[in-house]
Amino acid sequence: MLSRTAENLYWISRYMERAETMARLLDVGYRMSLFPNPKGYHNEWDSVLSAAGAAQGYFTKYNEINQENVEDYIFFDEENPSSVYSCISKARNNALLVRTAFTPEAWVAINKSYKEILELKNKKFTRADLPNFTEWTIQQVNMFRGSANSLLRNDGYHFIFLGTFIERADNSARLLDVKYFVLLPTADYIGGNLDNLQWIILLRSLSSFRAFRWAYDGDVTSTKIAHFFILNNDCSRSLSFCINNIVYHLNCLKCSPDKISDIYSGLKSVHSSVKDETVESIIEYGLHEYVTNFVSKISFLDNQIQNHFFR
Amino acid sequence: MFDEMYSDDAQIRKHYLQVNSWLRTMSSTVISQKNFEAESHFKRIGITFSVKDDDMTERIIPFDLIPRILTNYEWAKIEKGVLQRAKALNAFLHDTYNSGEIFKAGIIPKEIVYKKSSYDQSMINFSPPRKIYSPIIGVDLVRTGKDEFYVLEDNCRTPSGVSYMLENREIMMKMFPDLFHTNRVLRVDDYPTRLLQTLMSLAPKKCDSSIPTVVLLTPGHLNSAYYEHTFLSDQMGIEMVESQDLFVENDLLYMKTVDGPKKIDVVYRRIDDEFLDPLCYNPDSVIGVPGITQVYKTGGVNICSAPGAGIADDKAIYIFVPEMIKFYLGETPILDNVETWRCERDDELTYVLENIEKLVVKEVDGSGGYGMLIGPKSTKDQISEFSTKLKSNPRGYIAQPTLDLSSSPTLIDNEVSGRRVDLRPFCLVGEKVQLCPGGLTRVALNKGSYVVNSSQGGGVKDTWVLAD
Repeated sequence: MLSRTAENLYWISRYMERAETMARLLDVGYRMSLFPNPKGYHNEWDSVLSAAGAAQGYFTKYNEINQENVEDYIFFDEENPSSVYSCISKARNNALLVRTAFTPEAWVAINKSYKEILELKNKKFTRADLPNFTEWTIQQVNMFRGSANSLLRNDGYHFIFLGTFIERADNSARLLDVKYFVLLPTADYIGGNLDNLQWIILLRSLSSFRAFRWAYDGDVTSTKIAHFFILNNDCSRSLSFCINNIVYHLNCLKCSPDKISDIYSGLKSVHSSVKDETVESIIEYGLHEYVTNFVSKISFLDNQIQNHFFR
Repeated sequence: MFDEMYSDDAQIRKHYLQVNSWLRTMSSTVISQKNFEAESHFKRIGITFSVKDDDMTERIIPFDLIPRILTNYEWAKIEKGVLQRAKALNAFLHDTYNSGEIFKAGIIPKEIVYKKSSYDQSMINFSPPRKIYSPIIGVDLVRTGKDEFYVLEDNCRTPSGVSYMLENREIMMKMFPDLFHTNRVLRVDDYPTRLLQTLMSLAPKKCDSSIPTVVLLTPGHLNSAYYEHTFLSDQMGIEMVESQDLFVENDLLYMKTVDGPKKIDVVYRRIDDEFLDPLCYNPDSVIGVPGITQVYKTGGVNICSAPGAGIADDKAIYIFVPEMIKFYLGETPILDNVETWRCERDDELTYVLENIEKLVVKEVDGSGGYGMLIGPKSTKDQISEFSTKLKSNPRGYIAQPTLDLSSSPTLIDNEVSGRRVDLRPFCLVGEKVQLCPGGLTRVALNKGSYVVNSSQGGGVKDTWVLAD
């Protein structure tokens, strides 16, 4: 497979995954905005912008934070490189370049999403439309992933899912960080009512609330939720699940073994951050520190993958 | 005018009987619905073309539901004639870049060839694998009578349109499967396989594998034939590469893959000669591969078609093709050329100017139906304007009689009506020389028009060759 093709496929799935995360983040903000906001807490839209890595860009354009502006910036703004619109449009451009590595279904899925978001972009919307946009985005990404299953199980397929899980590992880690570092002003609040409420909102936004209920007995506690999102191999958004899939898809590549061994160091370091840890050890170390560390490890692995396969 | 469906006594020709009764069963609602279906299909897969004078907007070529049918008997002649031509054109290319026997024999004046920009000096004394320069030749044919087929031009570089031949058949089989039960239509869908076999049979001498690595080189997604590039590489299961994927090392050509560099044996290039190699041709080319010509000349890779193959389809060389057939093959030409006057000759220019209202005058280097004058369809002003241009640059023009192109039944506003057609079959020249039984039929959708080009109101049809 051409390096350029592999790189394009890798980024198509990263952009699609990112579009989903952006939409889900807005949903977190939206749900939180429906609850009374006690004094001393960060504004939920502020948190959403930080988590989306979009705060700097947003403030060059707007002076104040409100739902309409944040929604527009994160969903539709062409100037925001991570907006849902930018992600889908970049994924579609990449898909155009690798049409031979794609089945017609996969192309049609992305092309259709692009055509639809162009239409949505030009419509007037109200506050209440936000959940619909989120739902629409999730549907589009699911359609893309479903159509990717029609691909030949060659390197192209594995690069697509490698991109998916690298992006998801990064995004899940950032979402966790928002919860702990951004939303709660001090550690004293951990375990309080508001703390639990925020966890539950996060679970709901990730469509994982029911899954969590099935996986754990008894009360919702932050320890259980941290375990769920970091170490639980059954949760499709957990860091551990993502790492296992990254390892799996790397091993499936038909590339020469020395290529894989080149990236072994990066892989080993990422793997150790879920294999050798317990929830207790993570919390003791500090969740924020753990997550920051994890994100930089993923970024190192991503660099290694790009250098060794695409350059 | 020869009507392909009706004989002179207004009887339906035998090979159109089935299609005619099928047409009678279709209400205009069904026709509209099927037209819509075909159009949506072409839009969805993105099979588009660009229009020159329209800011390069992308359009879908109109597709006519009624197939153009050729009998096995009619096809046999076309096939023999095209194969003969394809062999002669390749023999000419080898001769013209090597010993030049045809010039020595005084059959073609050599200055006609050497002066042309499509004549590639750097190809002199070089011989590509199997001495084949042009492995894919599209021959444009027109019909004027029952057994009268004429060659309008040859396309020896990178003829396009074959994706329409395949997609038109695909959509017809999808929409009207019953038609293919009642008619025995020869298949065209194995064309990509045959193309791949042809390209593999042209591996260069340094290729040490029994399965040569073939790639398709595209200028990129902005090219008007990009869809065809993706379609053909997909159907052949080969990589579609751009210049940035390729590099030259130790006189070999490689592509960058996730496995590391992979050696390439055959390049089916869909970019023009001048952009092929910035070191050898246009130095500003960003879509070419620096050093690829050196690899080619030392037998590390084959480039299909060969650089300089375009000299064989030059309009000034065209008139000599029947002579080439006699000279190289010792055969009588099976398909005739259209009578052609070269305006650079004084006596012929005089004839053309005197008879211009009856003639078609074309630019020697023009294509796509642009820069031509159709005498009988032009106003006095247009004719006098063109005559002035002709007199100032006679070397730039040729003239041909206005041919009464055959007409084929076509759906216009849901009614059947005759429209003029041409035909481009695709000939493959490798270890075997073969013609795919079918081709691209273009149809002039405007009433009475002779211009079949898609840029000027032309459409396309599925082209059938019957098995018996």
